[in-house]
Amino acid sequence: MRKALPVAAPSLLVFVLLGGNATAQPAREWLERMNRAVDELNYSGTFVHVLDGTPETLHIVHRHADGQSGERILSLDGARREIVRQGARVQGIFPDRRIVLFETRRDVSPLATALPSNAAALEPHYEIELGPTARVADRSVQLLEIKPRDEFRYGYMLWLDLTTAMPLKSHLVDEEGNVVEEILFTDIEFPADIPASALEPTIDTTGFTMQRATEAKPLAAEIPWRAAAPPGFMLSVATESQIAGSDTPVGHLVYSDGLATVSVFIEDPATEADVSEGFSTMGSTNVYSLTLSSGQKATAVGEVPRQTVRTIASTLVAK
Amino acid sequence: MTDQINDQISAFIDNELSADESALLVRRFERDGDARARAMRYTLIGASLRGELLEPHPSVLRQRISSALSGTTTTAPVAPRARERWTDRWARPMLGVAIAATVAVVAVGTLRSLNEASITPLPTTAVGAFPLQVSDSVRAPAPSYVVPQGTELSRTGAPIRLTNYLIHHGEFASGLTRTSVNSNVLGGAIEPAVTETAVAKPVPEEGLE
Repeated sequence: MRKALPVAAPSLLVFVLLGGNATAQPAREWLERMNRAVDELNYSGTFVHVLDGTPETLHIVHRHADGQSGERILSLDGARREIVRQGARVQGIFPDRRIVLFETRRDVSPLATALPSNAAALEPHYEIELGPTARVADRSVQLLEIKPRDEFRYGYMLWLDLTTAMPLKSHLVDEEGNVVEEILFTDIEFPADIPASALEPTIDTTGFTMQRATEAKPLAAEIPWRAAAPPGFMLSVATESQIAGSDTPVGHLVYSDGLATVSVFIEDPATEADVSEGFSTMGSTNVYSLTLSSGQKATAVGEVPRQTVRTIASTLVAK
Repeated sequence: MTDQINDQISAFIDNELSADESALLVRRFERDGDARARAMRYTLIGASLRGELLEPHPSVLRQRISSALSGTTTTAPVAPRARERWTDRWARPMLGVAIAATVAVVAVGTLRSLNEASITPLPTTAVGAFPLQVSDSVRAPAPSYVVPQGTELSRTGAPIRLTNYLIHHGEFASGLTRTSVNSNVLGGAIEPAVTETAVAKPVPEEGLE
């Protein structure tokens, strides 16, 4: 059974209770509510993802049950592609390449506790403010502005559903105020329950190549590489991972400031990873790849400015 | 949903349907959630292409529905023309524009990186061939409410390893940015790497986080 869409009446009630001014809610509380909403709500909706003026429509189903979340995202325009995440298992289905990529997340790093656990910890690096209320997807929203205090991270403008704190619209903003990326829900609903079957892939993969991570040897719990990351970026993962399609473990570092995240992948030269050296971008994700003095190849990826991925990749050393 | 309905929705938002056809389609919206959602998407996509997403509201769709219900038109009547599939309608004129736009976006992005004071200048030959003035002329394509299919032709598929990296990276991103990462993976567009000689230099250990 689905919850009724809390559109007019509940939103109006919230608005009245807040005296018509939602800015009475501290901005940090809104941010923390949003973080919980994105992971813990059940939702299903369609959103438009706009990059460089090019829109792409996608459908998302997000399910939270028994303390675990999962989601399925399907592109509705162009090549029909799908990503399904169920717990620690992820599969990416790319019919245009007739390939399915399987990834498994390892939750082994004790470093994760170093990450900021609340919005207050972000304030040395971001200014967090409430803006006016508005309407998105026919629902009342509260604008939350997160402005970076330096050039190493992007800003965010988030239009949060007044009732659920779910971001119904978001802008990723560079240091010049340009919108790097826009995500906008055109419709969304919050069912009380979503069946597990809703996360089953919808694309027939018969005859596709299955690329799975194969554990040829035990993975190291910690790798020695470290970077001189920009201020506020804390190391949260430093381990070996298994990447689909490769028998050789890949070193994986994750740096995060609590909002933005940068991953660094370090591979042996023998793997011949097909990532070009220098800068490249994939949507709003910046990529910087180089050859380390050890001969290994390092690639930093993240939704951060170019100087951040470059700084992290180019300062890698073995401790 | 059939191509015929897609065509009708596209024509409806373009104000190219007759009053009778519009009224029929609006009645369909009342009972067909898919058609209604598609009309909303086309409206938003058109607004996005015109750079209107900063203040999105489905006013265009509302105006068209209101006009259809009242039997009026919101703009000057459009001369009747042979109905085409919207994919065909876009493929020809938009292909050139899309390729030019992509070239301009790459060129502008590359130039911006060259101007970043904190970054070592990159080889200037990477941008010398791009006509930077093109960017202004392609920024305002003819108004449309459908996806220009030609855009995909100007994109290259991301290398598999980079796709692997991004999927893996997405698992460690915050809930907010994971949607963004996954959308980037599904979009599959990668702009060519700007190659430079890049070898890490050792840094003192005390500089590490």
